[in-house]
Amino acid sequence: MIEFDHVTRTFGPKTAVADLTVAIPRGELFALLGPNGAGKTTTIRMLVGLLHPSRGAIRVCGHDLVKDPRAAHLHLGYVPDEPCLYDKLTGREFLWFIADMFGMPRRLAGERIDREIEHFELGEFADDLAESYSLGMKQRLVFASSLLHDPDVLVLDEPMVGLDPRSVRIVKDLLEARIREGMTVFMSTHTLAMAEEMADRVGIMVRSQLRFLGTVAELREQMALEATTLEHLYLELTSPRPRDS
Amino acid sequence: MTPRPTPHDAVRLLSFDAESRLFLRLRATLAWETVRSMLVDSRLRLALVVVLSVVFWGALYGLFVEAFTFLEALHAEVISLLFNAFFSSLMVMLVFSTGILMYSGMYCSPEARLLLTLPSRPESVYAHKFHEAIWFSSWGFVLLGSPMLTAYGVARGSAWPYFVLMLPLMLAFVIIPASLGGICCMVLVAWMPRLRVHALSLAVTAACVMALWLGWSMFSRVRMDAMSAAWFERTFAALAVTEQRLFPSWWLSSGLLEAARTQPDGSLSLPAMMEALKFLALLVANGMALQLLAGWVARIAYRRGFSALASEAPSRRRRRASSFDRLLGDTASPTGRPLRLLIVKDLRLFRRDISQWSQFVIFFGLLGLYFLNLRSFNYNNAYAAMIGFLNLAVVGLILSTFTTRFVYPMISLEGRRFWILGLLPVHRDQIVWSKFLFSFVGGIIPCSSLVLLSDCMLGLPWFMIAHHEVCCLVLCMGLSGLAVGLGARMPDLRESSAAKISSGFGGTLTLVISSLFIMAVVVVAAVPTHLFLLTTAFGSGLVTSQGAIAWAAGPWGMALSLAIVILLGFVAATVPMMLGLRFFRQLEV
Repeated sequence: MIEFDHVTRTFGPKTAVADLTVAIPRGELFALLGPNGAGKTTTIRMLVGLLHPSRGAIRVCGHDLVKDPRAAHLHLGYVPDEPCLYDKLTGREFLWFIADMFGMPRRLAGERIDREIEHFELGEFADDLAESYSLGMKQRLVFASSLLHDPDVLVLDEPMVGLDPRSVRIVKDLLEARIREGMTVFMSTHTLAMAEEMADRVGIMVRSQLRFLGTVAELREQMALEATTLEHLYLELTSPRPRDS
Repeated sequence: MTPRPTPHDAVRLLSFDAESRLFLRLRATLAWETVRSMLVDSRLRLALVVVLSVVFWGALYGLFVEAFTFLEALHAEVISLLFNAFFSSLMVMLVFSTGILMYSGMYCSPEARLLLTLPSRPESVYAHKFHEAIWFSSWGFVLLGSPMLTAYGVARGSAWPYFVLMLPLMLAFVIIPASLGGICCMVLVAWMPRLRVHALSLAVTAACVMALWLGWSMFSRVRMDAMSAAWFERTFAALAVTEQRLFPSWWLSSGLLEAARTQPDGSLSLPAMMEALKFLALLVANGMALQLLAGWVARIAYRRGFSALASEAPSRRRRRASSFDRLLGDTASPTGRPLRLLIVKDLRLFRRDISQWSQFVIFFGLLGLYFLNLRSFNYNNAYAAMIGFLNLAVVGLILSTFTTRFVYPMISLEGRRFWILGLLPVHRDQIVWSKFLFSFVGGIIPCSSLVLLSDCMLGLPWFMIAHHEVCCLVLCMGLSGLAVGLGARMPDLRESSAAKISSGFGGTLTLVISSLFIMAVVVVAAVPTHLFLLTTAFGSGLVTSQGAIAWAAGPWGMALSLAIVILLGFVAATVPMMLGLRFFRQLEV
């Protein structure tokens, strides 16, 4: 569903992402981990079409993000790290705008909007202007909007920031259900516990390179460390000091 | 992997028309909500905007009726030249202002980031942001142009079709420079992202140099009387460059002049009206062609430009304490260390925020240019003294817009950093006083220099200059007290946008009180001077017959007016400051 094919992205003389090659199949939750400045956000921005790769290609459901961005976007849902809403629209009006942008038939759009409002418990404030929302409320609304069109691929950039524990649980349950139905999730996060709990595979980026790609069990095996947490493995892998053998 | 077809029947790509309708609905909803919010939350501000706009429109209309009546009688041929000069200047300004608005809307706004992650066409997003930009960049043109053109039609005795055609002609014209601005912006960002700032600076500098050259060639070679035959001859020659047949501004002015033309008996001239319609068609056709071109450019350049802009290496700006900061720190040392540190911090923030000081420089720079040109005209004493006071009022009004826009929100903007200030060993009073000192010192230096420049150029005597300088000092003190005091009395600690804070109720109230304060100071200061000059001009008869006037125009009258001015300044500075200090001391964050 998602293919990164030798993707490199430079910012002037600085390389943010170097020769990234990953393929993520249908129904997988992939977690991209790495320290600040490792290239995670650049990777996500290329995946949603905001940045073009300097070299290589990214495809979503076979559609090249640079050559055919609109077709690729039909398959994509995106939850950015900073939710962007129109302050002078209500939550419901925003959901209608997104549904209309995806060309959804009116009746179906209405049903889906009601469904997501119920899933994310937005009913209480769905008809208030977004300018009055807290960060958590905004994040829940953006989640709802990204799932309206039942995307094949959901891209999440630090999805749990600002969410209360109950909302985190709602999001986790929804993601699990959607993944079972075949949705692919690409998630960038610093919340290692969540990655360990939910991800089928993890990728760890360090200084623009993908240092590891595989399951947590494979990571343990590679690091020759048994019965330890992802946090421990991550810190070992991303440590600037060489590991004692 | 073969491309997966459209995921399911639930979603589809919209046609261009459907996308345009969707964006139109979005803009209409946002506009309606904005108006509704203003009607509910900002009635005072809305009422002020409407009343001031009507007053402004009416005043301009009256002024233009007089001017056009005078010109029609004496120099009818100059009107075409004036229209061409006015519209060509506006054309250049609209290209820049729309270009800059499009840049911020299409490349720097969170909305653009949202829309580019949806299956929307780049040309639809361009069109959406273009409509937004054209509204912001051209409302001033319509507000300024409509009274002028209405006055022209009335003074000329034009038939009704002129008034009907006026607005379509203006709107059709606006689309052309605005489209050019949008196209230049997209091309620059897509293909020369690193050069965009240099290219813009170069273009702005070229436009300013050309404007200065025009002004210089009209006013500065020889000192002469305005409106004389020689002056007109020179002005005609200098402005002839604006009468190029390929300029849309020429099409607009020609269309307007033709539409205004009547038969000798005052009835509608059909041939002239047909000519006007041809010019309207020319403007509309070119506007539409440029919109098509802009759509095509957006299709190939927008996404590429958005990505290219992000390709620049993030600049790491290392700033060390400048020698100016150290000098200020040393100079302000008598105020005590905490106050000094707060002032230096505010100065650094001001210096590093280009949006603040650039507006400051542009407005005071333009005022300085105008003052430098004052010497080109000959004045008698009464005229010069009155112009001196009017210039003082203008300096005060511009300062008041800055104190309202930038100083008033300063206390509110500390809201998010309040945990830092709250933990420091600084008394809350010192925070408020530091803002006052920052505003007062920052205002008095450019304002007193400008007033001095204006008075020197007008050739006023030293006692008048001293009088104006005292008034200027009082204005700076009062305006700073009003902005800081009311800002501390009505803080909005949750808002992070200075623009939103200053446009709220408190900001509007500050602007209104500041304007009233400036008017009161200038009127009180100007009345004795004016009476003195009147008695000088009309002789002692007025002095002996009108004892009160003679007293008011004498040294005692002058002294009393100065005392009232100082009292006004004292009240304007202390009352809001006391209110603000008291409230801020007890404020629970």
